[in-house]
Amino acid sequence: MKKRTVAAVVGAMLGAVVLATPAHAQDVKIGLMAAISGPIAALAPPMAAASKLAVAHVNEQGGILKGGKLEAVLGDSACNPQNATDAATKAVNIDRVLAIVGPACSGAVLATANSVAIPAGVLMITPSGTSPEITKLNDKDLVFRTLPSDDYQGRALARTLKARGIDKVAVAYLNNDYGKGLAESFKAEFEANGGTIAGYSGHEDGKASYRSELATLARGGADTLIIFDYGDGTGLSLLRQALENGFFKTFVGADGMKSEGLVKSIGAQNLGGFFVSAPVGEASASLDNFNKAYKAAGENIDAVFATTSYDAAFLVALAIEKAGGDKARLAESLRAVAMAPGEPIMAGEWAKAKQLIAEGKDIDYKGAGGDHEFDAAGDVPGSYAFFKVSGTGYESIADMK
Amino acid sequence: MDLLGLANYAVFMGILIGIYALLALGLNIQWGFTGLFNAGIAGFFAVGAYASAILTSLPASGRLGGYELPLVVGWLAAMAAAAAIAWPIGKVCLRFRSDYLAIATIGIAEIIRLVIRTEGWLTGGVRGVTGVPRPFGDLDYMPSQVAYLAIVATLVLVAYLLVERQVRSPWGRMMRAIRDNELAAAAMGKQVEARRLQAFVFGSALMGLAGALFVHFNRSITPEAIDPMIATFLIWIMLILGGSGNNRGAILGAAVIWIIWSVSELLTDRLPTEIAVQAKYARVFIIGLTLQLVLRFRPEGILPERQPGSPPHR
Repeated sequence: MKKRTVAAVVGAMLGAVVLATPAHAQDVKIGLMAAISGPIAALAPPMAAASKLAVAHVNEQGGILKGGKLEAVLGDSACNPQNATDAATKAVNIDRVLAIVGPACSGAVLATANSVAIPAGVLMITPSGTSPEITKLNDKDLVFRTLPSDDYQGRALARTLKARGIDKVAVAYLNNDYGKGLAESFKAEFEANGGTIAGYSGHEDGKASYRSELATLARGGADTLIIFDYGDGTGLSLLRQALENGFFKTFVGADGMKSEGLVKSIGAQNLGGFFVSAPVGEASASLDNFNKAYKAAGENIDAVFATTSYDAAFLVALAIEKAGGDKARLAESLRAVAMAPGEPIMAGEWAKAKQLIAEGKDIDYKGAGGDHEFDAAGDVPGSYAFFKVSGTGYESIADMK
Repeated sequence: MDLLGLANYAVFMGILIGIYALLALGLNIQWGFTGLFNAGIAGFFAVGAYASAILTSLPASGRLGGYELPLVVGWLAAMAAAAAIAWPIGKVCLRFRSDYLAIATIGIAEIIRLVIRTEGWLTGGVRGVTGVPRPFGDLDYMPSQVAYLAIVATLVLVAYLLVERQVRSPWGRMMRAIRDNELAAAAMGKQVEARRLQAFVFGSALMGLAGALFVHFNRSITPEAIDPMIATFLIWIMLILGGSGNNRGAILGAAVIWIIWSVSELLTDRLPTEIAVQAKYARVFIIGLTLQLVLRFRPEGILPERQPGSPPHR
């Protein structure tokens, strides 16, 4: 008897859902899978707000397709695959979304792509999943992202060093996913380009001395030491001890090593042979547009992943507009609107983009968080530059390809 | 919305309910019949998931795996691995009584999670294992989901029948005797510690199988899936609500709680958008409230335990 009560309750809930979903032929829905509960709960509200800002821009400037309204369905992916697949299944099957922005965490992205988005043929753009595993998905060209993979910086750095004539290096990395991820991708690319890794070892955080590790690395005979570590932490001790003992001549770090504290502590005069790679804060007109609008919406412009969340939602809207709402053509349209050639479109310029699409002209969205020129796997290259120490800070000396 | 979409969603829910039902059945053997408070379900779930993933996945550099063994081998290995991990743990921890065992198992689940996160050569570390095959994964969306549901449902049914048979046997009566009065059972010459260890290992093996089913459904596993909220406490709520000590109760509890968990999000979505973010927490609250109400008004669960030979409860 109790069972029947339960069944009745469940039936009533499902019924309520059916009744509560009105259908407007013109309107278009997209799913926002934000990790609202769970371990990155603090990051989720600004990300959702940024995506919603893009939706608001679309609706304020003429709406989508033939005057329809773009609607964002917010789902809680909770940063785990169980909730993310559940939320995405609901978005795809109950709300009938045309595309998904999210989920936030890489594990959730992998699971959602595999068990919902790819089988159902729904376009998915994640604004914050950085795992290189996402690149490897057999995704029928449906999974994209608006920020570079962790893999990218390591590979770009390897190519840059090779181009600058450095053929033999030793690599020291901090033994966590940041350090290890960079080191692995660097090693693969450097060796593929004919370079030699003369020493390769991970080190633990917070030890007083790294001299024995450095001595082992130096034994390989390389002049250049690559340090994948944090310049405010272990990386500083490592660099200092390497300089004191004269183990290496040149030192190269990634973005974690680009610390002003490090320059102050060791002194610029001692750091003539120290270089770092780091993302370039692209001071683009598009970013200014976004910052202004985001600030006006009462949000903090320094929020992590805000620009990529905005771009993901805006790109989805552009792709839907370009494809005329045809789900099967979304991926192809996304590439058309995001990539060169075409008339540049900045963040927030929906009316202009809509006009150009209506005229059949090609457009190229220049996002707040980057240009978003997708490669074959749906990844974007980051914008990184190579820096040297100058005064108390850093000075960019070359762009990295 | 159309019926096809609704059906797809229902099938998806069915698959997850099946996976959770296996977890709840495993916990029922441990807690319902034997009185072992295992608060580390997520750990055994993870061991099973990774064991099967590593054995059946495509080759990948930097971690163990790529054996591309048949799925059945992976699933059996998942059960064996979870059981093999449970055995030494049980050997050490089952000397503890209820509360202490709970604390120990929470710690063990956390140890398993950290090992999986940091031992990259074995598990792929934070990046996890991908390229795990899914049976009938090449079919279209709907048929592929239905086929998977059929597999899960069959395994749940088999597990249910086996557990049910075991519990109705003299073994089951002995377990209940141990649960209800350990001293009396020991005085009758029953080997209390060995029996409790058996129950702990059997239950954990079922949890491992659930992990394997989960990983093949999603074709990937990362440490994010080993979240105690979603992989331990939710299952406790399912068992308590469904009725601990009753296998049908365990399965029913899994269905009811997962449906509430999933469908309540659709209802909270109808709330005004200004509070959409806050509303997502409402379902956590609803689950908690349900548990409180059940404990207050029907502490034995929806389907209470039935003593063999005694007239069934209404």
